[in-house]
Amino acid sequence: MRRLATVDARAAALGLFAGQKATDAVALVPELMIAEADPTADARALARLADWCARFSPAVAADRPDGLFLDITGVDHLWGGEAAMMADFAARLARNGLPIRAAVAGSPGAAWALAHFGPDRALAGEAMEALATLPVEALRAPDTDAAQLRRLGLRTIGTLAGLPRDQAGRRFGPEVMRRLDQALGVAPEALAFARPPNPWFARLAFAEPISAPEDLARVAGDIVERLCIRLEAEGRGARRFDLAFHRLDGVAEAVSVGLALPGRDAAAVTRLFLPLLERVDPGFGIEVVTLGARETAPCLARQPGLSPLPGDSHDREALAPLVDRLANRLGEAAVWRAEAFPSHAPERAAARRPPLSAPTTGGWDRERPRPVRLFRRPELVEALAPVPDDPPLMFHWRGRAHRVRRAEGPERLGEEWWRRPWSEADPASARDYYQVEDETGARFWLFRDGPYGGPEPPRWWLHGLFG
Amino acid sequence: MSRQAQLMAVRARLSGLESAPAARQVRVDSPEPSAVLQIQKLKRDLMTESVPTFVDRAPRAVLPFGDSRVDACLPGAGLPLGRWHELTGEGMEIETAAVAAAFAAVLAAPLGQRGEVVWILRRDDLYAPGLAGLGFPAERLIQVCVRDEAEALAALEDALSAAGVAAAIGEAESPDLTAGRRLQLACERHGATGFLVRRRLYGEAVTPRGSAAATRWRIAPAPSEPRPGEPGLGAARWRTVLERCRGGRTGAWIMEKSDGAHPLRVVAGLGDRELDSTQPVRLAG
Repeated sequence: MRRLATVDARAAALGLFAGQKATDAVALVPELMIAEADPTADARALARLADWCARFSPAVAADRPDGLFLDITGVDHLWGGEAAMMADFAARLARNGLPIRAAVAGSPGAAWALAHFGPDRALAGEAMEALATLPVEALRAPDTDAAQLRRLGLRTIGTLAGLPRDQAGRRFGPEVMRRLDQALGVAPEALAFARPPNPWFARLAFAEPISAPEDLARVAGDIVERLCIRLEAEGRGARRFDLAFHRLDGVAEAVSVGLALPGRDAAAVTRLFLPLLERVDPGFGIEVVTLGARETAPCLARQPGLSPLPGDSHDREALAPLVDRLANRLGEAAVWRAEAFPSHAPERAAARRPPLSAPTTGGWDRERPRPVRLFRRPELVEALAPVPDDPPLMFHWRGRAHRVRRAEGPERLGEEWWRRPWSEADPASARDYYQVEDETGARFWLFRDGPYGGPEPPRWWLHGLFG
Repeated sequence: MSRQAQLMAVRARLSGLESAPAARQVRVDSPEPSAVLQIQKLKRDLMTESVPTFVDRAPRAVLPFGDSRVDACLPGAGLPLGRWHELTGEGMEIETAAVAAAFAAVLAAPLGQRGEVVWILRRDDLYAPGLAGLGFPAERLIQVCVRDEAEALAALEDALSAAGVAAAIGEAESPDLTAGRRLQLACERHGATGFLVRRRLYGEAVTPRGSAAATRWRIAPAPSEPRPGEPGLGAARWRTVLERCRGGRTGAWIMEKSDGAHPLRVVAGLGDRELDSTQPVRLAG
């Protein structure tokens, strides 16, 4: 017997429904066009749609046959909020002829319930409030359980949740309670997020779970070597290695290291991993280890062990092991190279770049006086500056008085008005920088914010120290 | 792996020595003539041959200051390379370390031609445009920000022992003798030169400790003198005291940043902390 697998909006308006016998449907609507259902093609299309959704969120899970879960935690602000993101998402799909129902909620279960049974484009605040009036079918419990609940008069999630928990659990089984908890966001739910396939992947499984630290170190070395041999055969190197220890209880303990230049030296990568293994909690044991390499790039074979003599040449590649060690020990943000940035604002004139990136031409203007130490925030000083548009005669900084003996300036630096909305730009907010020397010879970089003549006298700030 | 192998070898030798006292006893009681001769020869060799100790090792390369008053105090007539040097400030400078940083940048600037320079920071307030103004190749400088003293010393040691690094400048409170020797060993691996800028972010002044540094400098600012008729500031001046110098003498001078062949120009020698340009340099110690 042929049944309708699904119907579109116009067919639904004519009174057809999914699950109806095809012959009945044709009897009701003689001019009905029926296409053969093709679940595999549907699944393929859904997977492609999930790939496309990567433009919205890095974590997308296909919910067969016709749903998608997007984890938008931490990305919705890029679209200007959850509502704006959902509107953009729906509009893009509608333009491609895909009518959808969407909902945003705090848990996958609640979002599913709202998208299938709630108002379209629902934004759930409190899960309980949003779900209370939805039918029990919205829980994703097996059909028999839902039918049983309905037979007992429990039509909405609110009434089910209002029952004493232990009795309801005994009566309706653990599956209903698990789904209820998942919808309310109190029980975890694992979604199978689609990941881009990574060809640089190695896996080691063990007959007996391992947990001793030396075993972890050994398998780390083994698996790194296995992947590095493959990388070498293909003439490639990777900039990032992710090592994951999969425990018996399903938890994956992951550590990763980064390289400044693409590499495939198994010994060097293993050395970077070893100090990180202390953080790995083996729990009851580890049964599988996986290693993925990311950001691979063609990498020329180099003869190992040949280090350039000091003073030989500027071979920056020789520095890669040092940079890797420091960056993996201290964090990647802790190792950098300063580069001239075209901005007159002192805070922005030195941009941070990866340490081994190629230096660009054009440095800083060496004629302008710039301090050796620049404070992240200028420090307010009490200055005695009786003559307008002159450096102060004296200032107090960190509890000490400094009498200004010599001074140079001013160098007027305006604010970068193009970086702010037009309405907020203020031509008066310029800084007059002075290089002053006190009686001991110590040199300071002071500035006055704004001109004289305002309602309040301008303040003086210390922005840096010269050597 | 090689380290482990070395350790194993040392352990094996030690256990061998411990288990052989009886045998040695016998040998001392009845020394064979050839053995005695051998021992005597070894002793003679030890007396005549230069024993590679720390102090006697002559610096292979130096960085001359270009002024005989300073170079005369330093072994090899210049700042020894392949060693590490300590730079200290005074007062507020202990916390900010701006003057010592500027002096280190001036000293290390020529080394930027030989290889990379790494700067290990305790606080990320080093300003590259300011270093560039001192003639330092700041565009190539690799900056590393660490969280505590132990990390600073470890990172400095790591940087000094890395191939391709010509100089490393580190900011740390006060390394003890062990840490100092480790830095020296790291310097010797590839001939890198270290500069340790004493910096304490909080708390009271650092008490100077005995250290394994080749030289120790105390740097303080000095009032500048612009050329007659010129307004504003003159070239930056520093009161530099060479407090300690292995294989050399101590001294004190007023130095000025200069644009000539040598980045520093000695303005005057200092005696008894009084500026007197006519008086010759008085060398303490």
